[in-house]
Amino acid sequence: MKKITIDHLERVEGCGGITVTIDEKIIRDVKFNIFEGPRFFERLIIGKTPEEVVSLVPRICGICSISHRYAALRALEKALSIQVPRKIKLLRELMHLGEIIESHSLHIFLLALPDLAGYPSAIAMVPKFNFEVKIGLEMKHFGNRIMEVVSGRYIHGENPVLGGFGKFPSKQELIMIKERAKQFMPFALKAVNFINEFSYPDSPESDMIFVALNPPNNEFGFVGNEILISDGSKINVQDYKKLTNEFGVSHSFAKHSLYKGKSYSVGALARIILLGDRLKGNAGKLFKKYYSPRWKKNPLYINQAQVIEILYALERIPILIDEINKLPDSPIIRYKKESGKSAGAVEAPRGTLFHYYEVSGGKISYGDIVTPTAQNTEDIEKHCYLFAQDLLNKGQEKEIEKVIKMVVRAYDPCISCSVHLVKVKKALEHDWRRKLALLKKKNNIIYIGLGNPERGDDGAGIELALQLKKCGMKNVLLGDNKEKSKIFLKSKSNWCIIYLDAVDFGGSPGKITIIPLHYVLLNSVLSHRLSPFLSSQFTYEHIKNSFLLAIQPGSIEKKKEISPPVRSAIKEIINYLKN
Amino acid sequence: MKKNKLKIGIYGLTGCGGDQLLILDCEKELITLFESADIQSFIMAKSDNIEGSLDIAFVEGSVTTEKDKKELLDIRQRSKKIIAIGTCACFGGIQAMVCDSNNWEENYKKVYNKIQMTHTQPLPSKPLNVYVKVDYYLPGCPIGKEQFLSAFTRILIGSPPESYRFPVCLECKWHENDCLLNKGILCLGPITTGGCGAICPNHNLPCVGCYGLYEDANLNSEFHLLLNKGFNLNYIKQKMANFSGTSIIPFFNTLKEKKK
Repeated sequence: MKKITIDHLERVEGCGGITVTIDEKIIRDVKFNIFEGPRFFERLIIGKTPEEVVSLVPRICGICSISHRYAALRALEKALSIQVPRKIKLLRELMHLGEIIESHSLHIFLLALPDLAGYPSAIAMVPKFNFEVKIGLEMKHFGNRIMEVVSGRYIHGENPVLGGFGKFPSKQELIMIKERAKQFMPFALKAVNFINEFSYPDSPESDMIFVALNPPNNEFGFVGNEILISDGSKINVQDYKKLTNEFGVSHSFAKHSLYKGKSYSVGALARIILLGDRLKGNAGKLFKKYYSPRWKKNPLYINQAQVIEILYALERIPILIDEINKLPDSPIIRYKKESGKSAGAVEAPRGTLFHYYEVSGGKISYGDIVTPTAQNTEDIEKHCYLFAQDLLNKGQEKEIEKVIKMVVRAYDPCISCSVHLVKVKKALEHDWRRKLALLKKKNNIIYIGLGNPERGDDGAGIELALQLKKCGMKNVLLGDNKEKSKIFLKSKSNWCIIYLDAVDFGGSPGKITIIPLHYVLLNSVLSHRLSPFLSSQFTYEHIKNSFLLAIQPGSIEKKKEISPPVRSAIKEIINYLKN
Repeated sequence: MKKNKLKIGIYGLTGCGGDQLLILDCEKELITLFESADIQSFIMAKSDNIEGSLDIAFVEGSVTTEKDKKELLDIRQRSKKIIAIGTCACFGGIQAMVCDSNNWEENYKKVYNKIQMTHTQPLPSKPLNVYVKVDYYLPGCPIGKEQFLSAFTRILIGSPPESYRFPVCLECKWHENDCLLNKGILCLGPITTGGCGAICPNHNLPCVGCYGLYEDANLNSEFHLLLNKGFNLNYIKQKMANFSGTSIIPFFNTLKEKKK
């Protein structure tokens, strides 16, 4: 077994690495390791006042500190029934647009562009792309300037507080921002064309699930009280746990999330795909010009989505400022309520960010924070797996490291954010005996033998199932009998299906392995042999709870005998399962 | 030409990345900055990093895992000078705050359910100087841009980067703000290291203490002043602890001794 290990991924925020385990011809495993230490944020805030929390939680992340503050304000103000006037809402939107511009410019021009243009860093690009890099830096500076004017400082600004602002920015400062936004328009338009000129690595494209907040009034935007999912469903923000289902893994200090057993993607690409139709002006025009259905299948298109969002922000800022300057300042709203609970959500540059707080007696009694990168981690691992397996199939093993670095960077992961309180529930395990033992402990297992007894070792699954039946095991089925398995599944809770089959996974004949079914389905090498039986009836729950106990066949020519190594593998499994 | 330039590394341990980000945020100065020194390693910003001997290492973040510790010891070994940047590196950060749920081992057991991490071992959050000798400190959450650039320039010409040796109160006076403490608002300006330009009081908001404790601060006096103003004792302690990390412990110990 061979491993490609990237210890410390460059040009991302925080400390993370990737391990790709290659077992001859298949990618056995991809782990996105997060080394950034745990900081127990959700425990640190317990016992603090809501005001303290608003200034502590932005410290989770230097890049999206405004989003954290905004989400905390939305959650706590709702919990404490604080209604802020329109001017405050609009100023918060303005500071948030500043963060979007800053963060997207940083990602596009400093972190991702070197990948596309083939340079180690943006600084190294200066001789050839002087203009582009400088415009990128200017735009980033402009984003910072907005945050500085509205929130006091561009990282961890303290000006936005519960019930309002310590001090309102002056009309003149805001007009300067408005004029500057207008000046940037031609450059942003140029940037859209520039970003779309680069070619993107071919990807083994696969359908993705996208999630974003639904801004009110059918407009584009970055806040909302409802979650929009690309499968058509909608969830109220207060029920965000129905979406996120966070769980921990042993190879990372960040939680992972699965929606209905599948990984999903949040961020600029998700927003543009779900809400792009609502864009107006230049942003809308360019969305229509460049958008293609391929964006829905390849995470690398995030740069295009980000640059369109910059355009949106530049067009929105003058409208916002005109309205803000017409409205009167207001003092910070004092509140009396001492208890309550609520969730609040905003679209951080990297995707949907949820904060949830319970307040009792004026102090925080519980807090939960679900960050975009924590939600994207499963999707990052999935796509690293897809790209790596694709390159391996093409015999381009040397490219794997470079390409998966690009894939991870495409999600613009913010690693500091994703690290917080983790509860470890399960660890991925590939030793088949240990994995089976784990599954048996917690589940009612049904074994289904698959294969063709007419073709030598391909009959191993059927042979194995037959022998297990002979040993008196009742939970064994021959072939994929839908009716029988349905009856079985209905009668038991915590069920789990283990398919027994001879599968070419590139090992030596007779080698045994257990593979989660979703890995099999993603892997084109294996799936064509399984599809007639399996692909028709899958539900999310089905995939999540299914595994393939695979024996590497020696020969699948047309003959009746099973080869000796496979026969001894069958014996090994039976001996293990009997005990 | 490159031979004569100072070899510099910029590193991040556990923290929000805000201080490294602030260095990237020196947009206009960034290109000059990269030209004037030999930036050997800056993992957040570039790919072609060389991990060899260094003249100066800037280190952000606190040590919270075995991996952080190993990396820090390695950086120390190959660097002539280490500069701790940010409140996490200088004092342990808010992840090191002294609070009710501060029993780290108990926290760890509750959170991780005794399951061992496969990739690295976590440790209680500590500032850099617990493990290695730190030559200079640039506190701040985040550090200030002017503060960083002036320190960087001083280093380039071979001078020590002088830290700001005054509390936030002094900067607040320069801005001619009304004293918030006089208005009965709990402000930590008198005991907090300056360098931010009194940004919160400038916005009519009290100082939250994000630059950490000022080295010559009269903590006892601030503490009793706040008590006399009628604030709850535990609330005052909590406020003082939020950003001070491990540096507040000696003061809390003197309070305990007085009780006895």
